Amino acid sequence: MRTMIRRSTRAISSEPDNLIRLLKTLGIIGMGAALAAPAIAGTSNGDAPRRPNIVIILGDDLGFADMGSYGSEIKTPNLDSLAMNGVRFTNFYTHASSSPTRAMLLTGVDTHVNGLGNMDEWTAPNQRGLPGYEGYLNNRVVTVPQLLKDAGYHTYMVGKWHMGKAPTQIPAARGFERDFSLLDGAGSYWDMTNFTAASPKSVFTEDGRYLTRLPKNYYATEVYTDKLIGYIEANRGDSKPFFAYVAHQAPHDPYHLPKQWRTRHVGEYDKGWDAVRQARLKKQVELGIMPANTQLAERMWFVPDPVLLAPATRAVLGKKMELYAGMVENLDYHTGRLIEYLKKIGEYDNTIFIVSGDNGAEGNDLFAMIAGTPGSRDFLFAASKWSNNHPNAWGEPGSCVAYGPMWAQVSMTPFSQYKGWLAEGGIRNALIVSGPVVKRPKGSLNNGLMHVADLMPTLLDVAGASYPKTRDGQELPALIGKSWVSLLAGKEDSPRTEHDSLAWELFGNRAVRQGEWKLRWEYKPFGNADWELFNVVADPAERKNLAVEHPEKVQELLATWDSYVRANNVVLPSRSVFEALEKNLPQRVPDDPGYPPLNYKRQFVPPKDMIAAPKN
Amino acid sequence: MKPVTRLRCAVATILLTGVLFPPKTLAQLPARFYWKSLSDSNGVPVIFQSISGNTNPFDPAHIVTPDANFDATLALAGYARTFSLHKRAVMVAIIEPMGHVSSEVTVAGRTAKQSASGFGDPMVEFDINVIGPRAQKTIPDALRYEPKFSVDLLGDLGIPIGKYDSSQPLNLGQNRWYGRVGAPIVWQLGPWVPGRRTTLEFLPAVWLFGTNSNFVGQTLTTDPMFQLDGHLTRDFAESFWASFDTAWYTGGQASINGVHGKSLNNFGLGFTAGYKINDNLNVTVGYKSTINDSAPDALRLNQFMFSVVYGWHKIIEGSKRLKHD
Repeated sequence: MRTMIRRSTRAISSEPDNLIRLLKTLGIIGMGAALAAPAIAGTSNGDAPRRPNIVIILGDDLGFADMGSYGSEIKTPNLDSLAMNGVRFTNFYTHASSSPTRAMLLTGVDTHVNGLGNMDEWTAPNQRGLPGYEGYLNNRVVTVPQLLKDAGYHTYMVGKWHMGKAPTQIPAARGFERDFSLLDGAGSYWDMTNFTAASPKSVFTEDGRYLTRLPKNYYATEVYTDKLIGYIEANRGDSKPFFAYVAHQAPHDPYHLPKQWRTRHVGEYDKGWDAVRQARLKKQVELGIMPANTQLAERMWFVPDPVLLAPATRAVLGKKMELYAGMVENLDYHTGRLIEYLKKIGEYDNTIFIVSGDNGAEGNDLFAMIAGTPGSRDFLFAASKWSNNHPNAWGEPGSCVAYGPMWAQVSMTPFSQYKGWLAEGGIRNALIVSGPVVKRPKGSLNNGLMHVADLMPTLLDVAGASYPKTRDGQELPALIGKSWVSLLAGKEDSPRTEHDSLAWELFGNRAVRQGEWKLRWEYKPFGNADWELFNVVADPAERKNLAVEHPEKVQELLATWDSYVRANNVVLPSRSVFEALEKNLPQRVPDDPGYPPLNYKRQFVPPKDMIAAPKN
Repeated sequence: MKPVTRLRCAVATILLTGVLFPPKTLAQLPARFYWKSLSDSNGVPVIFQSISGNTNPFDPAHIVTPDANFDATLALAGYARTFSLHKRAVMVAIIEPMGHVSSEVTVAGRTAKQSASGFGDPMVEFDINVIGPRAQKTIPDALRYEPKFSVDLLGDLGIPIGKYDSSQPLNLGQNRWYGRVGAPIVWQLGPWVPGRRTTLEFLPAVWLFGTNSNFVGQTLTTDPMFQLDGHLTRDFAESFWASFDTAWYTGGQASINGVHGKSLNNFGLGFTAGYKINDNLNVTVGYKSTINDSAPDALRLNQFMFSVVYGWHKIIEGSKRLKHD
């Protein structure tokens, strides 16, 4: 810590204003400041290394198994190069959807405290007006960029914000010195078109100003990258490190992407989701991502066996995955541009990269939820703005395609379920960390229990700063995360012990993980509207509910859950996006491969020596 | 020149401009005819045409008779089938012309008339794609079809079994073998999205003619003729498209007993509108006319066309039957 603070203060010692600001900050951050003070005096040593830059690459809805280094056939050489230069984690948890994860990432505070106790879009009647359920990052929390800025970092953001649109809630108001941000949760990659008649235009900010239009020839992933490179370039002469939050919109649906990226996998996914899932699991085992005896989660009961589908059906559904793969590869390409730029300016070796998705891959049909009812207002809006949906138009402006639950399960291989749910497929994500703080063997794997809220303490440690108890005279909530610095240095294998727990609540679904165990409550029919118990180390696919066999573990974890609820003011929603799902899906039945035999038995071929023509 | 002599000349003109030629030359197939479809598909095209002008519409030489009027009403009915050959898309078709053609020439106040009706010579067509996407052997192939830049090789052969009366020059049958080799080109411009498809299409071809040794007792020969059709086509809705059409013919000098006529060098413009009624039925309507035809001796030719193409494939039809159960 002292070394890092010394590095940080040396970096800003040549800038009196920054130094004064830092000193002011240090004055209110207690012990961290006390440690820093003597270090500042020693910053005249010109040989001291500069604090590392930090780049967070957040793929929106990027699945656990979507990068090559996590077993995917999707080509992600640039992201994989970070993995091979750093560490991959296999037990990293986010939340089950976008804004709760982002809120925890940037605050280190539980989502029921920081304002995203529910997604703004789904705030339940009984949650309205309650603290922690504002639907935006509330002003009782402080953000990573606010603290890093105070610590002398440049703070940049490009991409999706999704944590408030009012002037006091936008990136510029929450610590980002430069930003180019989509404030909505999703939208067109080509223009400002959004999804509903009530909110037809996406809202963007650039450096704290609301944009009236987008740059010419706009394509989200490309422009986000260009903007970030421009921000870094503009300030690179001042020797301050930077923190860049690269919250890509990709690969969130709609799968919009330039034409040359749409046809890189033509026909490759016609074989169907089961075959791709099996291939990914095989690769994961080879890579050591998953243990050799890992089973795939059952195919969702309402997802057909692709073997039984007509080639044309597989082709059309496969094309959706082709588009998705293109989205991921395009994201990788632009990440590569950023990497190349940092290498070119000599900053790559001093940059920490943190790569992850924000939640499980998207298997829900958001577009159908919004516009699926003919005659409704939003259906008419979609007919006007989002009906360019011939398969040959997928990727173009006005097209709206997502790949559905079958491919989401592929993206989350080997886990069960997907975004929005608290099975592993909703919350476990790939995580790559590379850069100067990583002392573990390059390309190594780690199975430590990690959480997205860990980023706040980790990055503060990296920057030589610390989390203040108060800000602007207001007491700040406690961090729930654990720093990874020791782990990255190879001094420990997990930031958590067997007794530490993680807990989640979203849309009324709930889960607790402690050690090998996970207790989970989900709406029917994904769950059974009761607590289920899984050993997610032995059974990461959550195939076997052990609640009956281990009632004592259920009780133990229920107590942990209750503590979590009390500590974080969890208010279960009176309404949920999933409340009527049971009525809208086919009845849940077990997924038994090869059942019924009627559909699988092949043509009987008699022995050749017993074949004869009719006698007459 | 005496009136009778002039009438004889006019008749000779009719001879030269008469049915020296297969009607298919002018019965230009509509744009988008050479787009590819699923292998083992079937199609029945029926093309109706009404043609008038100062030249025989069935005559590739298009020799102008200033005071003549020609009228033809004809239909071309056929059958086409697609299949794959060494992974290339192939279409074979047979087209049978039928109808009525009449001519009227007034020279020195005297009018000569001729007419013919019945069945013309059937024509067999073989078309194979040589540059472009592979044959659509499966429905996924069909779903993924985009012509991009496609070039076919085309061969037509007219079989001289149509109605022929050697005592008059105006006939539907030709009494000689003839055919065409060509290279239909489809050049996709922009995305291949129904409602926005745009193509530039060309059909360069050479017509070759045998000898009619009994053309009103004389011998008729015709030099090879070069044809270049062009179409700029564009969707205006998923089921509606239109094209701007051009046609240029050159060569094709006809000779009767060694007496040469005039070579062609004619240019026409027109348009076509197409509408997909349902998965089986497409219709087109078109009009084409010669340009620079205001001078008395300039070529004048007007053509109205209406085509219906009914297509089917057994898997598609079966699927529809199940859907309707």
